[in-house]
Amino acid sequence: MVAERLAEIVGPAHVLSRQSELLVYNSDGLPGYRRQPRLAVFPGTRDEAIAVVRFLAAERLPFVPRGAGTGLSGGALADDIVVVGLHRLKKIISLDVENRRATVEPGVVNLRLNKHVAPHGLLYAPDPSSEAACTIGGNVAENAGGPHCLKYGVTLNHVLAMTVVLPSGEIVELGSKVGERDGYDLRGAFIGSEGCFGLALEITVKLTPKPQAVRTLLADFTSVDKAAHVTSAIIASGIVPAALEFMDGATIRVVEDSIYAAGYPRDAEAILLIELDGLEAGVVADQETVRRICLDGGARQVRVARDDAERMKLWQGRKKAFGAMGRLAPHLIVQDAVIPRTKLPEILATIHAVSEKYSVMVCNVFHAGDGNLHPNIAYSADDPAESERVHKAMVEIMQACIAAGGSITGEHGVGLDKLGYMESIFSETSLNAMCELRGVFDPERRSNPGKVVPVHACKEWHGIPGSAKSRGAREASPLEAEPSRPIAR
Amino acid sequence: MSTERVAAAIRDSVAASRPLRISGRGMWLDAGRPVRADATLSLKDDSGVVSYVPGDLTLTVRAGTPLAEIADVTSERDQWLPLDPYGSPDGSIGATLATASAGPLASSFGLARDLVLGVEFVNGSGETIRGGGKVVKNVAGFDLSRLLTGSWGTLGVITEATLRLYARPAVDRTFVIDLGGPEKHVTSIVRAIVTSPLAPYALLLLSASAARSIGVGESPACLIRFGGNEAVVRAQVGALSQLSRPEELETKIWLAVRQLDGNSHSTIRISSLPQRVVAHAARMLHEDIPFIRTSIDPRRGILRIAVDSDGEVDQRELRADLRVTEENGGGASEVIFEKLPPEVWAQVSPSVVADGLSRGIRTAYDPHNVLNPGILGD
Ligand SMILES: Cc1cc2nc3c(=O)[nH]c(=O)nc-3n(C[C@H](O)[C@H](O)[C@H](O)COP(=O)(O)OP(=O)(O)OC[C@H]3O[C@@H](n4cnc5c(N)ncnc54)[C@H](O)[C@@H]3O)c2cc1C
Repeated sequence: MVAERLAEIVGPAHVLSRQSELLVYNSDGLPGYRRQPRLAVFPGTRDEAIAVVRFLAAERLPFVPRGAGTGLSGGALADDIVVVGLHRLKKIISLDVENRRATVEPGVVNLRLNKHVAPHGLLYAPDPSSEAACTIGGNVAENAGGPHCLKYGVTLNHVLAMTVVLPSGEIVELGSKVGERDGYDLRGAFIGSEGCFGLALEITVKLTPKPQAVRTLLADFTSVDKAAHVTSAIIASGIVPAALEFMDGATIRVVEDSIYAAGYPRDAEAILLIELDGLEAGVVADQETVRRICLDGGARQVRVARDDAERMKLWQGRKKAFGAMGRLAPHLIVQDAVIPRTKLPEILATIHAVSEKYSVMVCNVFHAGDGNLHPNIAYSADDPAESERVHKAMVEIMQACIAAGGSITGEHGVGLDKLGYMESIFSETSLNAMCELRGVFDPERRSNPGKVVPVHACKEWHGIPGSAKSRGAREASPLEAEPSRPIAR
Repeated sequence: MSTERVAAAIRDSVAASRPLRISGRGMWLDAGRPVRADATLSLKDDSGVVSYVPGDLTLTVRAGTPLAEIADVTSERDQWLPLDPYGSPDGSIGATLATASAGPLASSFGLARDLVLGVEFVNGSGETIRGGGKVVKNVAGFDLSRLLTGSWGTLGVITEATLRLYARPAVDRTFVIDLGGPEKHVTSIVRAIVTSPLAPYALLLLSASAARSIGVGESPACLIRFGGNEAVVRAQVGALSQLSRPEELETKIWLAVRQLDGNSHSTIRISSLPQRVVAHAARMLHEDIPFIRTSIDPRRGILRIAVDSDGEVDQRELRADLRVTEENGGGASEVIFEKLPPEVWAQVSPSVVADGLSRGIRTAYDPHNVLNPGILGD
């Protein structure tokens, strides 16, 4: 019945209701979590998307927006409810080269937007490592970052305005395409709302002129600790590199063994990939300063990419590192904590100690300049004893990051995965304030129910359709429950 | 004053049905905005640094801390908060965030909302809430820091904020270019600067009256500030000299710029597409009305007009003029009233929080309507 009605809106080819067809949608980039949707609908135009949302509103049916499904927090999972997939909405609606902005539909893939604007000497700065697949709508929902966000800022800093269809079916304009406006920053509130505030249907972004000069440096170290201290020293020097990425020895060797081999020194225990950009004269001077900081901090060698091809190769290894981990073991678990940058050496030492304690191999490949860690463990989820050790190690690492004054997630979002940690960083009143904000955008809590804020942390959330109280109770359990589970490949 | 005392004051005001006017250090107050309250909650005494880790380039301060104090504390470590809102440096950081104030540095370093990493605030029920955190990148939970920034105290009283700092540049130099020439010439200089690879920290165009008020001559002028390492500044100064004849000024001119509003009785900000602003800049700068000081940030697409009280300008007429300007420009602009005489506020500025979402958020965060009621035209 629901499927037929949706098919009338989008056409029968764009509604999936058979369980076998829906299997593809039962996980996101973190396939350790699996939830089987009831059905999936894929609107092909903005009007169809609005009609779908209005139909779901009339029927009071909960739903989950979905972009490319590359999310790493279980955010796009639909537990026996409707998936509204947006990848067919992929028009680049307008490009204003003079004023450096573009308006796009949510299903536009990040890299495609970049390729579209590149001939005009422009770029869209947020560059998640998943750029070849993830959508701008998903980026907005997660407030996605990426290596170059160190200098250029995250999605939040590059989105001017959005047309949103609220779960009620009402259309609202948030922010201003022109630039700045008065009133509450509803644009800012929506970015990072992880699909809980409705669907972004049209997004106006700022574009950035391509830098005049770019230099990519590769510094290699014989210890993780030295590289960590050098990271802190570069940040403290005041130079803001475009990117400052860290890879430890284990990661280097995995990448070098894979098809993404980038020519990293295999015998290094850590490398820093440092990119400087801007005006030629400034970049040359900064390059010398950074080189000196690296060498003074014990780097064996600092290599500068000679040309674009070498630069791309160095980046390819970094951006595909998670993919390369597939060589190690069938499953992967990735965290996303952020710590104060001065605490890097200490926390990396803790991670090492934890990995020894539980005899697991933690690989570290992360956005060091922001203090945004991505400790990850490749292992086999079919081995219960190993799973147990991996799980305990990850909880201990997260607790250390929280104790260091950090955050549980820098760019991947809370989703389902980090729900259990929310109460360890936010008070009851703070969580309730978040519930209230959500309640304004989505009073019936039908858009992506059960994500981001543990349901039991919200006052007066009883008897609301789609609030998924029973599931919520399970997923919102404290630290030991299941904040991190394996990624199956 | 502590967070607990702010919370107690709010709970008392709810109990007594006595709304509060929220004030930082009282330097800007309500910009003429009508507030229906006869009691004031001031954060003046709730000031000081909570934590400062120079190596992390983050600073946590109490909301009543003056911007000048933040500048002093951070400059000891060769760092700064690159936020230079118009008005007194004695104004508080809490008010700066609550009003989302920013100045010429915004086109390079971002607006207030881009520099705030986390806030603590007390809502209209007297509950203490934290949004964001102390690290430079964070997506945990819905973004309450952005929501509070620019909410003019109506969603909560900000008690503490964590800010992103930057290292002070090794070199920081400012130049002035005379824009007194023919309009065409001015347009081409401005366009050349804006489309060149130059990446100044700040770029501000001033009408003659604005230039005069800060002592940089009698004709329209362009202020341009370069920062960074020695080499990058030298290269840019060189490039600028190819385009025009810049004269160097002391960097402290920017303190004078922050006083551009003076005792204006109205200040209006118009946000428009940058290229449209560039196209109209020369004409607007050349319209020299003695009691109106115009400044333009062409990269940010901002035109700012400060009108003195001796000018006999009917605000409604001015608003109509602005509309015409917009229409000539061929598209929408956003008009933001920063300051108006209280008696004209209601006629001129419709409520900026009249939409359903804004009203819903207001009701959720301040259910008893005790925080600055009326200040947003509500
Ligand atoms: C190998 C790999 C590397 C990655 N690297 C990075 C990185 O460097 N930085 C980073 O930030 N992330 C990274 N990610 C995570 C992920 O790619 C981002 O979170 C991305 O923004 C998700 O986009 P998506 O289109 O796949 O969204 P999905 O996974 O489909 O959805 C993510 C969330 O957004 C919601 N959503 C999707 N579209 C909309 C819409 N139009 N309106 C409202 N809500 C919507 C969904 O409900 C869900 O909650 C990586 C992922 C992988 C697999």
